[in-house]
Amino acid sequence: MPVMKEFEHKRILSATDKRSVAVYRIRFSKRVVFGSMVLALIAAIALLAPRLAPITYEYSPLSAHLNYINLPPGSPNHLLGTDYLGRDVFAEAIWGSRASLIVGLFAALIAVSFGSIWGSLSAFAGGFVDTLMMRIVDGLLSIPSIILLLALNSLLSAPGLVAGLPPILLSLLHITSYSYGNLPIVTVVTVISATTWLEAARISRAKITSVKSEEYIEAAQALGMGTSRMLFRHLLPNAASVLMVEATLLVSDAVLMESGLSFLGLGLGPSNPSWGSMLTSAQVSLSQGNWWAVFIPGFLITMTVGSVNLIGEGWLEMLGRRHPAA
Amino acid sequence: MPPKFTRQLKADESILCGWHIVCQREQPVIIKSSTLRLLGHASASRLAEVFRLLGMILKRCLGSLPLLFFLSLVSFCIIKVLPGDPVEIMLGSAEKDVPPEQVAIMRRELGLDQPPARQYVAWATGVLTRAEFGRSYRDGRPAISVIKERLPATLVLVGTALTISFTIGIVWGLFMAWLRLTSAARLDSVLIGLALMFYSAPSFWVGFLAIALVASYEPLSGIPVLGLHNPGEPGSLLALFQHAFLPALVLASRRTAKVALFVRASTIEEMGKGYVITARGKGLSNASVIIRHVMKNSFLPVASLIGLSLPALLGGSVLVESVFAWPGMGRLAVDATFGRNYPVLLALIMIYGTMVILSNLVADIVQLYLDPRARDFELNSQSRLSRGHA
Repeated sequence: MPVMKEFEHKRILSATDKRSVAVYRIRFSKRVVFGSMVLALIAAIALLAPRLAPITYEYSPLSAHLNYINLPPGSPNHLLGTDYLGRDVFAEAIWGSRASLIVGLFAALIAVSFGSIWGSLSAFAGGFVDTLMMRIVDGLLSIPSIILLLALNSLLSAPGLVAGLPPILLSLLHITSYSYGNLPIVTVVTVISATTWLEAARISRAKITSVKSEEYIEAAQALGMGTSRMLFRHLLPNAASVLMVEATLLVSDAVLMESGLSFLGLGLGPSNPSWGSMLTSAQVSLSQGNWWAVFIPGFLITMTVGSVNLIGEGWLEMLGRRHPAA
Repeated sequence: MPPKFTRQLKADESILCGWHIVCQREQPVIIKSSTLRLLGHASASRLAEVFRLLGMILKRCLGSLPLLFFLSLVSFCIIKVLPGDPVEIMLGSAEKDVPPEQVAIMRRELGLDQPPARQYVAWATGVLTRAEFGRSYRDGRPAISVIKERLPATLVLVGTALTISFTIGIVWGLFMAWLRLTSAARLDSVLIGLALMFYSAPSFWVGFLAIALVASYEPLSGIPVLGLHNPGEPGSLLALFQHAFLPALVLASRRTAKVALFVRASTIEEMGKGYVITARGKGLSNASVIIRHVMKNSFLPVASLIGLSLPALLGGSVLVESVFAWPGMGRLAVDATFGRNYPVLLALIMIYGTMVILSNLVADIVQLYLDPRARDFELNSQSRLSRGHA
């Protein structure tokens, strides 16, 4: 059957194509599928927040109702109960998913882009510049990330910061005389990405150093290809798969860091509902016997971080690498 | 010249006038006869082996000195960039009442009128010669003595957490690997899911839940939750460890899961190797294969994981100390951030960083000591001078 033969031949060919092998394996990695499903559910909740928890006077995630404090889950009108200020936990959790996911995604994106540029420039420059750039990364990496977060946070939360911003930025971030608007989100994203880009820089440098010794790079050099073109056309695309896995794992780190910062009182604050700031306020209600306001946001954080980790680790496994030790 | 070998050469080694071509890895490496003997391919003396190891350890130690220098430079830069004039912070609201001449004198005393580079040199010489990291803005005490008070509490917490996470984690990981072998794969998957949950949960949230559990469940109500010792009682070592139990357990939760998953992965990887098939062919049971043969090999990466766990635990302790009112360095760091107490923050960054660098160094040395392959690799990469980037 020559037709069948040809068909098989084509399948083998396409299967040897690296990218389709990866797609093929993704389809059959249970971890990735399961993780993606959970993450898609959470993302859908975040996107559909106005539908799922329409803001009314009673259900606003921000307005307090002291008549209805600490209602247990399953109470009429309050599916998951209320917290110590009478805010609906369900509405808070759904609206809070937006801030948490936005912080996670943007922090990871910025960290990976900056880290990969730093790492590839370092690998590309070589010699003394390479040593200097990587020593800076090593020095920063030896500071535990939460301490670095604390130090950088006081840099950005300075009292004089808002006064020094240009008016365009003020209106862009909805900063008014009575509210900081979106400034806390920008600050938290900046601080988290400034802390997490280091690992991405190291990984991209290692990858690009190994790619650099390939023969086709030598050929491209011999053809007179410029530095930036080489970087964006050959080196970075080759490191892309590793960097994307790193980005995935960084999302989970960033979500955890946001909650940690909020817990210490340095995060998004009460005017931007997020899972982290929910946990901060729920701390108070814990002593009043209200465990559900603590449990729900933490559970959602755990689910998000867990599913992102599943995707990342499953992906790593497909690339044939084990997750680094620490 | 007759080769001075006590054992036979392997098939992939060929001798060429005292030079040996060893084709072990993807590229043949040409090594001098004497080096080969040192590599352990011949009857190298035990003493030479020890000296070689010591040399490598010394090299690692010297290698971490520049890292310390860069750490100090980077952290000094961060602190210098941070907003707020030290004199302003120290004076607080009293600033308006102090005449400007007085402020100028204070600035000169603190060395703030100097350029930043000279300030760094002055600070670094103070650290190196007098072990003085500057003075706390809050009460004028040396930053190092403020930290010294807090250091033991953090070390007790982190040490207990390290012990807990590795004992529970190793047992858990081995159990999961054993389950996989005895084809109880479903239970294994459940345990993996549990480990992943623990790994993904924020530690302070686990702390809240633990406190809620202790508060609401009667049999557990004896477990102390806050502080170092009960109020009104003198602190004793027993009380200290009793109080450290719950915080350490919470702090260890993420690490335990990580260690368990790591041990499981490395044990299962070892199980696929040839010697395991031999051992099972002899009729050994799954458990004794794991305990007698696999464990030794799969624990090599675990040993280096111990050193790498310290940074994570130190970082986690900042949050856990805040939950359990544990008066350690982590709380101090949080307080120093809120109070803009930069000398203390700088000293803390240096001490945390030094601890991390030291633990990485120890992990590296342990790896070298335990794993002959790591030593071989190091020597080989030295002899590959032609491939500049090692």
